[in-house]
Amino acid sequence: MLNCLSRLLRPSLASIVLALCAGTALAQDQPLVIARNLEINSLDPSRAFCDTCQIYLSATYEGLVRLGSDNKSVEPSLAESWEVNENQTVFTFKLAPNAVFSDGSPVEAKDVKWTFERLKNVQADASFMMSLVQSIETPDDKTVVITMSSPNSEFMGVLTAPYTGIINSDVASANGASAAADANAADTAENWFQSNSAGSGPYVLASYAADDELRFKANENYWREAPPIKEIVIDQTADAVSQAQALQSGAADIAMQIDPDTAETVSSPDLTLQTVPSYNFIYVAMSPGAEGNKVDLTKEVRQAIAYAIDYDGVIQFTVGGEGNPQASPIPNGFPGTADLPMPVEDLDKAKELLEAAGHADGFEMDAPVAQLNVYGVDLVLLMQKLQQDLARVNIKLNIQPVASAVWREMVASPGVPFTARFYAPDYYGSAQYVQFFGMVPDSFWLTRAGQGKVDLLNQKEVELLNKALAASDAERESIYREIALEMINDRIIVPVVSPNLVLAYNNRVSGVRYSACCNLPLAELSWSAN
Amino acid sequence: MIGYVLKRLITMPLLLLGVITLAFLLGHFTNADPLTSIIGERNMTNEAVVAAARERWGLDRSLPEQYLVYLGNLLSGDFGTSFRTKQPVSADLLARLPATLELVIAAMIVGSVSGIVLGVAAANWRDRAADHAARLFALLGSSLPVFWSGLIFLYVFSVSLAWLPGPGRLDPRAEPPPTATGFYTIDSALAGDWAKFGDALSHLVLPALVLGWSVTGVVSRMVRGSMLDVLSQDFITAARAKGASRLRVLLNHALRNAILPTLTIIGFSFAYLITGAILTETIFSWPGIGSYAVAAARGLDHPAIIGVTIVGGAAFLLANLLTDLAYLAVDPRVKLGARPAT
Repeated sequence: MLNCLSRLLRPSLASIVLALCAGTALAQDQPLVIARNLEINSLDPSRAFCDTCQIYLSATYEGLVRLGSDNKSVEPSLAESWEVNENQTVFTFKLAPNAVFSDGSPVEAKDVKWTFERLKNVQADASFMMSLVQSIETPDDKTVVITMSSPNSEFMGVLTAPYTGIINSDVASANGASAAADANAADTAENWFQSNSAGSGPYVLASYAADDELRFKANENYWREAPPIKEIVIDQTADAVSQAQALQSGAADIAMQIDPDTAETVSSPDLTLQTVPSYNFIYVAMSPGAEGNKVDLTKEVRQAIAYAIDYDGVIQFTVGGEGNPQASPIPNGFPGTADLPMPVEDLDKAKELLEAAGHADGFEMDAPVAQLNVYGVDLVLLMQKLQQDLARVNIKLNIQPVASAVWREMVASPGVPFTARFYAPDYYGSAQYVQFFGMVPDSFWLTRAGQGKVDLLNQKEVELLNKALAASDAERESIYREIALEMINDRIIVPVVSPNLVLAYNNRVSGVRYSACCNLPLAELSWSAN
Repeated sequence: MIGYVLKRLITMPLLLLGVITLAFLLGHFTNADPLTSIIGERNMTNEAVVAAARERWGLDRSLPEQYLVYLGNLLSGDFGTSFRTKQPVSADLLARLPATLELVIAAMIVGSVSGIVLGVAAANWRDRAADHAARLFALLGSSLPVFWSGLIFLYVFSVSLAWLPGPGRLDPRAEPPPTATGFYTIDSALAGDWAKFGDALSHLVLPALVLGWSVTGVVSRMVRGSMLDVLSQDFITAARAKGASRLRVLLNHALRNAILPTLTIIGFSFAYLITGAILTETIFSWPGIGSYAVAAARGLDHPAIIGVTIVGGAAFLLANLLTDLAYLAVDPRVKLGARPAT
């Protein structure tokens, strides 16, 4: 009996020992592993809205066009060509004749129409991208004509966003999806999308376990050149230190959210740690209409607060100097941002403005902030730095760290007098920032800052935005610059740092880059030859 | 005995109902609207979207109505749908419970065995070097925060020495074994995939050591104290006088009598760790109930929070029952359901 057991166990134990000793000697046909904090709100293309969602959607779905590697140009994708009328209201696309979904069925105009209508009608976070779409015509299987309700020069940029990836409408409809006007209530496909993809991208969803891993497999029916890596896993790794450890131990090939401080602790000839500027930024927001205001947050007071901030100190304190100042709520490098005046610290001017406003002795201000660490910046720590800065002009910040969900409720009602938040682009284009941060109708921050209780609407911004949306490429740069100057002058939003991004990866991986729309384009990754 | 167990099992749903009711009420009296975790920031002021979401998720009903609907669904095994993962909570819990159980059982084995051994050794060599060393080890286990010891263990044993793998239940490159029990070690063994078994086992070592160490501290101190009490009693002197060996006296006479209070500690530690291994699960990216609970609480995911509460409550009730049964097995003086003499 014992001999039998021994014979049975011997090969098993040997294989266990081999497995334990395998270490990091990995064959190149093994899956590539990315360590990052997943934090996925949905894998449904029409409902998703998160950083990891951008990576997932751009790998599994393709849009009509895509963002070029210069992070600015628009390149063909499912549409091989397109035309835009002079006043930016009619967009006509010709689909690639050989484009197919992952089930082998052709990508047709009806899928484009269905996808965009669903995105608009489910009324989720990314639905705003289709807000100006008035009608979509499909004269034939390969032609799509999209008509806007008003000029929309931003639309080609919008179409590079991964949330506009085209869905196989037949497959999705069979699983409860709806593009009808009542899709918000009628569509029941979100659960199905959590374990299935229905796009034409280079990868398909292999499996998803929330808080654990997101696994991709190469799309066997991909209509273009197959991606170099056959399987990719995004492994849930909550924090920067754990990600760095996974990278150093060989458990991960890429670590996506290593902050500059953690990066300094990593040193290995096998690893590349590259710091690149990002389009992400952290900003301070002031809401004159918040119920908790103890004084009127007039423009002069807001300007004084902006002058009291030690911007260089903030960058040093939050990201160890690995970041850049940003002039306006439009990120550096986007249309209209060239040569904008950077924010400056001027305590004398701050005091002068406060004195003129009748607050020479200062005042108290509530500052609820979400307990988050985003892009390497701990928002509560940032707030503590701002608390010190503002104390120099006798403004006392009452920091109130809250859960992110609670912050979201507070900012909607009753409003928060002073807070800090973050933003990352959805695509390359400046109108999205004006529509979110500008004092224009339907802007997120116009409402949150208290429009209705105080008049914050900036008519000049409204006119300039309309002009920009109807302008040609050549004209837009100067118009957005004017808008950026207006937004700086609003002093509702004050960007404090644009953190650099640390690209950390094993040298055996090539093609790691930062994309403005898609974070990390998975299909460009490959194993290095050496 | 069967009657006693049945009686306890029958009263469990009533106790759980109390737990559910409390969790339900507490969740709804928090000063935050769960819609903020369902609807994105942009749409929170869009009345049409907010109304549709409230209707879709049943949040437009009154609190008593929500409670009754929840209880009705619960009777048919429906724990609701998670606001965050968009999956049925029962599916989420079933997917995560085996991960937690695998970790907690391994940690309890580590903690109980090492705690008992250290406790016995400390009592046997009271006030000598072995006693001080054991007590220091126990003290460190109880007092070092898991988020610190976890990271240090990871850095030393995984990154620096490369003896053990990093976070997760398996090498992320590997696919999970076919599910039979949800325990990766058992499932890979059942599948005959010994390489994967080794992978799963090696991934289990560090988190089990870190979590088990905290149990070691509690158990060893309890065993030491009980052993010292027992060792000073007359029957131990009698056993020694009758010529029983030192080891026999320690294990057969002293430990058997000293282990009873320790069983209570072990039972409740097990139940506590089912939902309390939060930090260990977070540090080691272990997709169990603890990390699920944290994410649910942060996202105001009420169905998930109540689901975790039910699991935690059931774990405590079962642990209580098993501890009582263990008393019966270890101490022949204990009679189940017996009323104290008046």
